[in-house]
Amino acid sequence: MDFTFTEEQEMLRTSARDFLETECTEKLVREVEDGDLGYSPELWKKIADLGWLGLTYPEEYGGAGMNVIDLTVLYEEIGRAMMPCPHLSTVVLGGMTILEAGSNEQKSEILPAIAAGDRIIALALTEPESAWDMKQTWDAAGVNVGATADGDGYVIDGIKLFVHDALPADTLLVAARTKKGGNPEEGITLFLVDAKSQGVSITPLITIAGDKQCEVVLDKVKVPKSSVVGKVNGGWAPLERSMQIATVLLCAQMLGAGQRLLELSVDYARTRIQFDMPIGINQYIQEHCVFLLRDVNGCRWSTYLAAWKLAENEPCDMEVSVAKAWSSNAYEHACWCAHQVHSGVGTTVYDGVLPLYSRRGKTFQLYMGDTTYHKEKIATLLEDWSPPERPKGAPLGLWEEKPPFWIPDWWAEFDKGT
Amino acid sequence: MDFRFTEEQEELRKEVHDFFSENLPSDFESRGSGPGTTMEQFKFWMELQKKAGAKGYLTPGWSKDSGGLGLTDMEQAVFMEESSYWGTSWPGTMGQRICGPPLHVFGTEEQKKRFLPGIAKGEAIWYQCFTEPDAGSDEANVSLRCVEEGDHYVLNGQKTFITSPGPADYLYTLARTQDIIPKHRGISLFLVDAHSPGISYGALPTLGIFTTEIFFDNVKVPKDRLLGELNRGFYHAMVTFEFERSTTGAAAGARRNLQELIEFCRQEKRNGQPLLKDPAVRDLLADRAIEVELSWLQGWFAAWHFSQRDKLGSPPPEAGGLHAKVVSADRAKQLIDAMGLYGQLRSGSKYSKYSGRAAQQWLSSRSTHPGGTIEVQKIVLAGRGLGLPRIPAKFNKEIRAAIEGVGV
Repeated sequence: MDFTFTEEQEMLRTSARDFLETECTEKLVREVEDGDLGYSPELWKKIADLGWLGLTYPEEYGGAGMNVIDLTVLYEEIGRAMMPCPHLSTVVLGGMTILEAGSNEQKSEILPAIAAGDRIIALALTEPESAWDMKQTWDAAGVNVGATADGDGYVIDGIKLFVHDALPADTLLVAARTKKGGNPEEGITLFLVDAKSQGVSITPLITIAGDKQCEVVLDKVKVPKSSVVGKVNGGWAPLERSMQIATVLLCAQMLGAGQRLLELSVDYARTRIQFDMPIGINQYIQEHCVFLLRDVNGCRWSTYLAAWKLAENEPCDMEVSVAKAWSSNAYEHACWCAHQVHSGVGTTVYDGVLPLYSRRGKTFQLYMGDTTYHKEKIATLLEDWSPPERPKGAPLGLWEEKPPFWIPDWWAEFDKGT
Repeated sequence: MDFRFTEEQEELRKEVHDFFSENLPSDFESRGSGPGTTMEQFKFWMELQKKAGAKGYLTPGWSKDSGGLGLTDMEQAVFMEESSYWGTSWPGTMGQRICGPPLHVFGTEEQKKRFLPGIAKGEAIWYQCFTEPDAGSDEANVSLRCVEEGDHYVLNGQKTFITSPGPADYLYTLARTQDIIPKHRGISLFLVDAHSPGISYGALPTLGIFTTEIFFDNVKVPKDRLLGELNRGFYHAMVTFEFERSTTGAAAGARRNLQELIEFCRQEKRNGQPLLKDPAVRDLLADRAIEVELSWLQGWFAAWHFSQRDKLGSPPPEAGGLHAKVVSADRAKQLIDAMGLYGQLRSGSKYSKYSGRAAQQWLSSRSTHPGGTIEVQKIVLAGRGLGLPRIPAKFNKEIRAAIEGVGV
């Protein structure tokens, strides 16, 4: 067991924090929110130069060959700085899926371009119908936009909704149904669709977080066979793996943001004077801070465990779902506690930092499945748990107990003796 | 980051596993239906305790010379994890975990020779006698009076809510030896014979565990029964809590309970389908699984941090234990609510389900105070953990006087 990060990971954390404190200021976060694209092209270019876009790709594709734990460290800092950028969509959901399942041509064309900051990808997965019900939203059964074979290519037709980072995307990674009936996971194909293709129209949605999730209408969009990523009808498995990584990275963002909320709240509780005393002397305020600590600590360890398992390529459905089930609820609660400590001061939208954290929390919570969704996944996994191991000694028949239970038998004798 | 155990640690786990697997009866159930146990059960545990003691299993962190296995901190945590999985309930647990460690650190050679073997071999039962009617959360308010008289000390006063897992042999007792502010600088620790003339006991069963109250009426304690320095007892006792930080054991016990509960929900049917398919039950099981993992992680972090204390110093504030306490009542309620009218049945009834565990967990969950109430833990975390301000104790009396002056 070792609960420390490597020296390189600590350096990555320090340099990321320093960089983001100067480059990704609150002002920039607000500007991006008010802008049309949902990210800052200048900042994107700078993080490409820092190597953040190719971090986990092999060196042959312009990457640094690092693993999910390194990404987790980076995402904590991205969460802390609330950096608005298409990193998760492009590098993880797009690039890592292509790395896992794409052809050599696709990999050598796209991955170096991603690493250089020249290609942005958005994952078009969720749909208007399935978005009602989390059980459908993030599972294969929710994918019903169809792609039909047509000559030497496919025609994709339907609407994708709540697509992150579609506005700046060069390429859409579209999950479409190519086979109906049978196991829903075995009828999904992934397509690379040029965002400028005829028939593609993209409209931003107005969300709590002010991020630019979009409606993506695919109106009989024609794509060549070469745009298929991986096997026809075999797109779900590689996508699921990237989605697991993305899930853990969302937890890491909540961890980084939650840690900042804890620091802000404790600091405010210590310094804000009311009734001639710092408000942090009141136990009601202290309780909010303590629960913030509880929420954030839980995010920390469950996220690190899931990230480590992903990095080790071990099965980790349980750990990923535990991390997201805990973090989604805990982060929302952490925001609530921070708001209670800050009260009115924490609610001003022009210059207050808290609303930025709590509004983004809603996206973190819903994206890749909320607590209810992941708890249901956990329950399904628990169905396979074996009963506790029974000991092997000869049975003694001693465990039948007699009411009223309250006083042990040895007491009478001991009581007499003393 | 690395969440793997070493090969040596896995071997140790296997050894502990085999001991319990072979020595516990196949019909053993790791629960009590209440604070009490039958005489047969008590005798069974005493016998097994001695068997474990002979192998050094009760005090695995102690050196081989003093009856342990000389395990490292991390190995001890592995040991605790595996043995707790089997639901062990040692009558001598207070001596092994609470009184023994400070005895090791502060005891004289003679004290060590006299008391440690009995603990390690599983023969002696110790009570940790700290709590008093006016010293609960405010532990430094101990008022059990201790005065020096010739060649011995004399104790007068009362202890209460003393956890009593069997008939006592020794009392590990905090007593007031000096009136001083701050209060914790006038407290000393004594190793008292449980059968000393002047000591009497009263049963004080609680919803969770069996406890006693203990009365001291001019009890003579020889001088050589003082542990460590006079008036430093409060600090000596703190060493105890250092040893208690890791929850690897609690997490393992919780995992076994969850396995047991899942198996019950698999077998038991409602409306023609297993309980395991009931949405409310699934929600409850998922919550428990999350908590088992978090408590496992936090337990191992604490153990690992403790093992690195020379390098890392004191651990960062950790709220895992607090969380477990806060939610224990919710979980017990979820379970009992999921069982309809059957939830209220205790074990031993013809119609009992799940061996009455739902009822017992609900009863025990009313009792969250051992080791510090939820409220005190929050105050400690806020103050010592997060550095939030508190009113200095020296003003407490003034505040009290001011409140009394104003009235309600």
